[in-house]
Amino acid sequence: MRFLLRRLGFYAVAAWVSLTVNFYLPRLMPGDPASAIFARFQGRLRPEEIDSLRKAYGLSDAPLLEQYFTYLRSLSRGEFGISINFFPAQVTDVISTGFTWTLLLAGLATVISFFLGNVLGIIGAWRRNGILDSVAPPLLTFIGAFPYFFLAMIALYFLAFQAGWFPLRHAYSDALSVDWGSLTFIKSVISHMLLPATCIVLASIGGWMLGMRNTMVGILSEDYITMAQAKGLSQQRIMFSYAARNALLPNVTSFGMALGFVLSGSLLTEIIFAYPGLGYLLLQAVRNLDYPLMQGLFLMITFAVLGANLLVDILYVWLDPRTRR
Amino acid sequence: MKLRFPALMLLVIIFTSMLAACGDASTLTPQATQAPSTTAPAATATEAPATGSTDPTAEPTAAATTDTGSTSSDGKVFLTVSDQQQSTWVRNFNPFASDNRWPTAAGIYEPMFIYNIATGKIEPWLATEWAWNSDNTELTFTIRDGVKWSDGEPFSSKDVAYTLNLMKENEKLQGNGRAAMRFVDSVAADGNKVVVKFSEVSTIALYDIGHQMIVPEHIWSKIADPVTFTNETPIATGPFTEIIRFQDQIWELGKNPNYWQAGKPYIDGIRQPAYPSNDAANLATINGENDLASNFIPDVENTYVAKDPENNHYWFPPVNAPVMLLLNTTKAPFDDPNVRKAISMGFDRQQITEIATYSYNGPSDATGLPESFADWKNPEAVAAGDWVNFDVEKANAMLDAAGLTRGADGIRVLPDGTPMAYDINVVSGWTDWVTTDQIIAESLKEIGINATTRTYDFSAWFDKVQKGEFDMSIGWSNNAPTPLQFYRGLMSGETADTPIGEANGDNWHRYGNPKVDELYSQFVKTSDPAEQKKIMNEIQMIFVQEAPAIPIMPNIYWGEYNTKRFTNFPNEENPYVLLSSFAQPDRLILLTNIKPK
Repeated sequence: MRFLLRRLGFYAVAAWVSLTVNFYLPRLMPGDPASAIFARFQGRLRPEEIDSLRKAYGLSDAPLLEQYFTYLRSLSRGEFGISINFFPAQVTDVISTGFTWTLLLAGLATVISFFLGNVLGIIGAWRRNGILDSVAPPLLTFIGAFPYFFLAMIALYFLAFQAGWFPLRHAYSDALSVDWGSLTFIKSVISHMLLPATCIVLASIGGWMLGMRNTMVGILSEDYITMAQAKGLSQQRIMFSYAARNALLPNVTSFGMALGFVLSGSLLTEIIFAYPGLGYLLLQAVRNLDYPLMQGLFLMITFAVLGANLLVDILYVWLDPRTRR
Repeated sequence: MKLRFPALMLLVIIFTSMLAACGDASTLTPQATQAPSTTAPAATATEAPATGSTDPTAEPTAAATTDTGSTSSDGKVFLTVSDQQQSTWVRNFNPFASDNRWPTAAGIYEPMFIYNIATGKIEPWLATEWAWNSDNTELTFTIRDGVKWSDGEPFSSKDVAYTLNLMKENEKLQGNGRAAMRFVDSVAADGNKVVVKFSEVSTIALYDIGHQMIVPEHIWSKIADPVTFTNETPIATGPFTEIIRFQDQIWELGKNPNYWQAGKPYIDGIRQPAYPSNDAANLATINGENDLASNFIPDVENTYVAKDPENNHYWFPPVNAPVMLLLNTTKAPFDDPNVRKAISMGFDRQQITEIATYSYNGPSDATGLPESFADWKNPEAVAAGDWVNFDVEKANAMLDAAGLTRGADGIRVLPDGTPMAYDINVVSGWTDWVTTDQIIAESLKEIGINATTRTYDFSAWFDKVQKGEFDMSIGWSNNAPTPLQFYRGLMSGETADTPIGEANGDNWHRYGNPKVDELYSQFVKTSDPAEQKKIMNEIQMIFVQEAPAIPIMPNIYWGEYNTKRFTNFPNEENPYVLLSSFAQPDRLILLTNIKPK
């Protein structure tokens, strides 16, 4: 319990630090948001209109420290403000347009990749030098070494555009409306998710497998495994409860990180597959110096990372009795 | 043997709870986006117009049609358009905001008249006539009879006066009329006329006021804050006012039931899927899913037209204001017009257009005016502007004469000994600009200038260029119904003295000329076209003599169209309006003339 309390204290400090960084970092970038809007108009807007944009966005000239406290105050009230890039939409409204889709696509893909990778790693280590163990790690590492967007673009071009086996874009058929009760809709969502999710899984599975396999190999040579063998325990029990449970620990830590980065990590997938998630929003927010939207998104990512790590800490306590002090 | 996979089991639990969370969130999202839509009947949202034959799960009706787009199950014909790049749509149809969905200013709301860039003519729209009084202090618009708002209420001169007054009172509202507001004294409705009184004479304000989108007084007078209003169900006079669907990744607009142009529009509606990037949009356009697109497609003949020569067409008229090479005239040696001209002669515009823009445009002449301003062009000024010709020898001679001698390494040095080594700033990712920049940088080495291409993110580039913190930079120039704003943006004394480090809206290279300012004020005080043309001839001559900034090539209005389902698109043979969405409100003319096959 004391362990958990200490962790919670650490997370509170980490959250405050990241809130502060969220505030200051974007403002250190050159340029201002009203000017950035001009990228989309390229001389079509008059100088007079930049002035009125600045006034409308209420860009404050107040000292940064004062703005910082205003920001903390409104955050404590749960207000994220109005997005500049999507003016006059609320940041929360803008984020809600893509949140579900990112969580669904990237979350699911990360979880699948973690499961598959670990299971492959366990089996690979258990049957060392078997076919799986000799073929899968180099192959998956090879695929994972491709620049991610390259893999996705190749898949999109050949499998979706040329062959026509998969939809080219979007999270569900444009002909449908969002209706999670309808089977047609859910089928459409799955078929649209298949290709992007496969790409994410392919790109990341190698790391999981290799990590698991290597730790597992080390653990299999430990004395307590020999002891378990000598006791005549079932092979399955040795493999999972003795070896895998211990070998899983480092991977669980990275899983916490990976889960937290789900929101930011799927950026390229979403852009290539025109998936209506948060990835592109983030890119746009940064490019256009949309401070409120950036703050909203970064805050979400920060809390996702912290939340996932907290979960992992709890999981750790349960998995590894040595941490229960 | 209590738990075989303790860790895995816990993950399963996390995973399922995550899914449950997804379920919750997703049921909330559609409610949030659809709740305010009171006029769009719920049934239409599930009507499911067929789209995407590549979609294996599309319903049987959709899969049965080989057609990739635009016909819905009840036979309605929707024009699928690729515009504004977004990954998800935010519902905003506020004509006073800058991030509204594009039909706001080109389909939903309408202005009093449209200056048609393609033809160079003004087409009356919500107003039928307009006239200045004798001393150009009063502008009177005559409002069209029989126009109705989409809710059936009559449109009147009061709405126009209301809109203009609203803009005048609230400085935060953006729109085409904004630039005119500082000259406007008062606006009043009188019968079917609207009278705009000016506190300062500015005849070019006509275009700004005429292009302002007009909103209904009976709706907007009840809105607490028009600046932050997202106007989710617009009431307007335009051809497409009914929002049939508005989802994260697609929206559809239907016809205005009360549209004033009898029989128009010919199409039932417009549809816009979300494409987050040029590549995603181009893939769909090439696949025949978009009927109209205004994206840059590289090598369009091979990548697009060749796919379906009968239906796939493009029209890229190079009639936008030119891309410029800006030299910071506050710094030596760029304060010397001869040095500027020499630099201009040091690179080959023909080569740039061939490589950077696939020869879709030609090089600019020394006046910088694109072909759309052919009537304004002063032939004498064009002839006098030999500094747009590629001539390394002459450029070298001029630089020698300017006292910039070559150092040991072949690079010229200023009289104080500083070598002529400069960055040419450009926006990263704007590929045609970057290529242009690289060619110029490479060519300038021949005339003893060590130029380097320097790419910046847009914000950083714009910050530097606005504040005058650059030596050389690629930039755009102003485009407006008369060439005046183009020249004013490059030579106005008003903005030339802004200190380096303070932002300038235009005239980033900070060149000022009192003679131009005088001609400018003469121009805006007269409404006589012949007089204006004479003044413009003089301004052009000064531009050519001084070379305050260097025109490279005119910008292009990109436009691709597919004639499988629709006809009567404009093209080179029938250039009645531009295809590009960048030309607003011209698109109103396009959308009311396209016909289903």
